[in-house]
Amino acid sequence: MRSRNGNKNFLRPIFILILCSSLVLNASEYLISYSYIVKDTVLFNERLQVSQAMKPCEDIESDSIVLPTNGSKSLNQIIKNNSFEFTNFIHTLGIDVKHKETTINAQNSSTTILTLKTRCFKVDFNDNLARITALK
Amino acid sequence: MRKYFLSLIYVGLFSSLFSACSQHGCYQDECMKTQEVHVGEKHGCHQDECIKIQEVHVGEKIVIQDEPKKEVEVEKPNCDTLRSSGIYGEVLCRDKPITISVVGQGVAPMNTTSPAQAYALAKRAAVADSYRLIAEKVKGVYVEGDDLVSNMMVKRSNIRTSVAAMVRNANIVETSFKEGLCEVEMEIKISYDQFLF
Repeated sequence: MRSRNGNKNFLRPIFILILCSSLVLNASEYLISYSYIVKDTVLFNERLQVSQAMKPCEDIESDSIVLPTNGSKSLNQIIKNNSFEFTNFIHTLGIDVKHKETTINAQNSSTTILTLKTRCFKVDFNDNLARITALK
Repeated sequence: MRKYFLSLIYVGLFSSLFSACSQHGCYQDECMKTQEVHVGEKHGCHQDECIKIQEVHVGEKIVIQDEPKKEVEVEKPNCDTLRSSGIYGEVLCRDKPITISVVGQGVAPMNTTSPAQAYALAKRAAVADSYRLIAEKVKGVYVEGDDLVSNMMVKRSNIRTSVAAMVRNANIVETSFKEGLCEVEMEIKISYDQFLF
């Protein structure tokens, strides 16, 4: 097929568009919260909650991380497989620190709670990778 | 007749004295001390400089004169001078960001299944400790304490401290794990614009 203004092929941009859209198989939004408690310098409790958003998040995209899916389509499984990278990513987003320390008759005890407040994440599942983007 | 004239003179004198005192609103003893002092003229100050004159009628006229107003220029603290003084430690200025570095410590729990798990858990605790130290350095610590003294002896001593802050963009520089103790060196770069007061 030839265009009016020369040899420019119109099929090429359409083909690229189809290819790009096929790479992103599914895009969805998730609500993620994370917190852990350290008591007397020992990790006491760690909790990561992931749930699919019931309504669309109308926020601006900010930082993102790309994790290998290893054939899985479950975000929980992907995060579980790459927990170290994901927790590091969460820390970079900003974490609330609450620390309480009590000293009674020279005996010290402390509790530190670090929390990522429930936040919306956009997840794009590709063939082998999942791109998790924080929304704010 | 002579007595009558004398009594008239006395009455006239007393009445004149009484009328003079009643004008100033004071007693006889105080009226004797009444003086008018024109301090402004005596000290040679101009009319503009003599701002406030207060008259007190307690026998003497007291003139209080304020000093002429002078504009005092307060020197604004310069970041370079504050830095060079060394009193305040590191000072956050508009032009230069500062880097805060801390070392957090964490201990592995007793009931771990493997050394790797012990390391991971100890590191997490050390990271939390580092975050806490950064929050303490940047935002400050709330300290509360009370002592119970009975019969001249301290029965109970309580100290409570707390920190609450939001920390982001802190980076782990170095991690070490020796004999169950994990140490994490963490640093954060703070610029004037990023800092939320």
